[in-house]
Amino acid sequence: MPRDSERPRRTGTLLRLGALLATVAAALSFPSMAPSPYELTVGIASLNFAVLSTSWNFVGGFTGYISLGHGAFAGLGAYATGLLVTKGELPSFVALFAAAALVAVLAIPVGYAALRVRGASFVIVSIALVLILLLVFQSWASFTGGSRGLVVPRPFPGKLRSEHHEIFYFLFLGLLALALLAWWIIDRSRFGMGLKAIREDEDKAQSLGTPTYTYKLVVFVVSAAFTALAGGLYGLWFGDLDPVFQFSILSGAYMVLMALLGGVRHLYGPLLGAVIVGYGLEYSKLEYGDTPLHLVFAGLLLGVVVMFMPDGVIPAVTGLIARVRGTGETSIREVTAAQLRDEREEREADVRPNHGRDHRRDRRSDGKEPDGKREVRQ
Amino acid sequence: MPSASLVFQSVVLGVLLGGLYALLAAGLTLYFGVMRVVMIAHSAFLILAAYLAWYAHRETGVDPLLTLPVTVPLFFVAGVAVQRLLLTRLRPATLTMMSVLLTFSVALVIEGLLGYAFSGTQRRIRLGYSSAGLEFFGARVAVVKLIAFGLAATALLGLYLLMRHSRFGQALRATIQHREAAALVGIDTDRIAGYGFGLGLATAAVGGTALALDTTIYPSLHWHWIGPLMAIIVVGGLGSVPGAAIAAMALGLTQSLLQLELSTTWAQTVFYVALFVTLAVRPQGFFGGRLAQRF
Repeated sequence: MPRDSERPRRTGTLLRLGALLATVAAALSFPSMAPSPYELTVGIASLNFAVLSTSWNFVGGFTGYISLGHGAFAGLGAYATGLLVTKGELPSFVALFAAAALVAVLAIPVGYAALRVRGASFVIVSIALVLILLLVFQSWASFTGGSRGLVVPRPFPGKLRSEHHEIFYFLFLGLLALALLAWWIIDRSRFGMGLKAIREDEDKAQSLGTPTYTYKLVVFVVSAAFTALAGGLYGLWFGDLDPVFQFSILSGAYMVLMALLGGVRHLYGPLLGAVIVGYGLEYSKLEYGDTPLHLVFAGLLLGVVVMFMPDGVIPAVTGLIARVRGTGETSIREVTAAQLRDEREEREADVRPNHGRDHRRDRRSDGKEPDGKREVRQ
Repeated sequence: MPSASLVFQSVVLGVLLGGLYALLAAGLTLYFGVMRVVMIAHSAFLILAAYLAWYAHRETGVDPLLTLPVTVPLFFVAGVAVQRLLLTRLRPATLTMMSVLLTFSVALVIEGLLGYAFSGTQRRIRLGYSSAGLEFFGARVAVVKLIAFGLAATALLGLYLLMRHSRFGQALRATIQHREAAALVGIDTDRIAGYGFGLGLATAAVGGTALALDTTIYPSLHWHWIGPLMAIIVVGGLGSVPGAAIAAMALGLTQSLLQLELSTTWAQTVFYVALFVTLAVRPQGFFGGRLAQRF
C-alpha cells in the first residue's frame, strides 16, 4: 500500500502479530481453562463453525458467489466418513481424508453446473443441492440409515469423554489453522488475484485473459473439500448423524451469516463471525430452550448484517477506529464546493485513462480501504 | 404397469397440483422480473397464509376461503413494504446476491415466529367437505383439490388479465422488460416495482389458503416448497410469467405420474433433475426467459 506511510504500518504489523499470538495462546489454553466439559463442547462447536465459514469463504469471499448450500458438502463429508468407517471398515482418519477427496471429486460436476450461471441461479442451485441430498439421504434408508440416524464409531474408544472432547478440540483447531493458511496463501497468489477480479467484474476479468471458469471451479472444489473435512470431523466427534441436521439449509445459511458478519474480505472475518454466532446460538438455546426463537434471532441478525454492514464487523470497526484516530476518511466528505471544483480541475488536468468511471468498483480492487469512503454513494 | 384409469387419475391430480405450482411460481418470477430479486421468503409467506386460514377456522369456525379478503390485501401491503423498506436499500451492485440473504432472513423470522406462536405441531383444517369427492370419467378427485385449483386458476387468470389489459399491467411489463426505458417514457418504476412485489405476495396469500384446505401444515414446511418453486422458475426462465406457468404444469404433471412407480420423495427429485439439466443444457431456461441469460 504505497499511500500508507512507513511507521504506522510497522506498528500495525507488530500489533497484528501480537494480537495473533495472544489469540493463538488463548485458543491453545482454552481446554485447560474451560470450567466444564460443556464449555469445551461449545468451544468445539464454535471451532467447527469457524472451519465451515472459513471454508465457505473460499468461494464467497474471493469470487463473491454466495452459496447457501455449503451445508451439503459438510453433510456429505460427515456421511461419507461415517459410511466409510462403518461399511468400508476404514480407520477413522483415513476415512475422513478419503471422504474429503470423494466430496472434492463430487463437487466438480456440481460446480460445473452451478458455476455456469451467475447470481440468482447459482444461489438457487446451491439451495437445490441441499434439498436434493436431504431427499436422497432420507429415502435411501437401507444405505444411509435414513431418519433413524447413522452411528459413527468413535475413533478413540479407550478415552474418557472429556479426553475425547479435548483431542477433538485440538483437531478442529489444527484444521482451522490449515484452512486459514490455505486462504492466506490464495489471498496472496496470482490465483487469488484472478478470483478477486471475478468478484469485481467477471466480464472484464475474462476479457483480460483470466481463465475465470477454471478458477471458479478450482476454488469451488477446494472450498468443498475443506467443508467436507469439517463435516467429517464433526461426524467423528459427534458420532450420530441425521439427514435433517446434516443437510439443512440452515447450516449453510449460518456459514454465510458468520462469514458476512465478520467480513468476507478478511482472513479472520469468518472466524470472528463464528465466535459471535456460535456463542449467540448456544446462549439462545440455553435461554429459550426448545422454542424456535433462535431462528428469529438468526434471521434478524442476518437481516441486520445484510442491510447495515454487508462488509462485516472488521471493516466497520477498523473504519470506526480510523475515524476516531483521525487517520481515516470521514464518512461525509467535509469539503467546500470550491475545494471540490479545484479537485475536479486537477483531475481533468492530468489525464489518467486507467482511472475508471466507476469509483465503486475501483476502490474494491484491493479490499483494504477504510470503510469511510464507501459511505459516499452517488 | 399401472392401469389406464390410475394413469388418468394421476394426470388429473398432476394438473391440479401444477395449477397451484404455476400460481406460486408466477409470484416468484414476478419478483425476479421487477427487482432481480430471488425471494426465498415467498414460500414462508405461503405457509403464513395457510396458518392464518387455519387459525381463523379454528377460532371462529369460518370457512378458510373467507380469510382471503383479509389476507390478500394484507399480503399486498406486506409485499410493497418489503420492497420499499428493505430491498431498495441494498446496494445496486450486489442486489441479487444480498436480496437472497435478506429474504432468507425474512423466511427464518416467519418460520421462527410461527413455531413460537403455534408450536411445531402439524395442523390440519377439518371441513365439512374435506372428504367429499367427485367422480370424473373414472378418476376420483377430492373437492378440496378442485377448490384449490379453482382458486389458483382464478388468481392466475386475474393476474394475466391485469398484466395484459390494465395500464398498471402495461407499466409493470415495461418495467420488467427494460427498467430504464420504462422510466424514460414516464413510468414511476419504483412505485410499479413496489406494486409488482405486492402482487407477487398476494399470490402467496391465495396459494397458502388453497394449500391449507388440503394439506397438513407445520412451520418448516416452506423448505419443502421452495426447492420445487425455485426449480420451476429456472426451468421456465427467470422473470418469465408464462414460462413459469408452463414449467409448473409440466413438472407438476411429471411428478404426479412418477409417483405411480416411485415413492413420493423420489418423485420430488424430478424438480432438481430438471433444474440441473436446464442449467447444463440451456441456462436461460426453456420457456421465454430472455432475462435469465445474464443471471
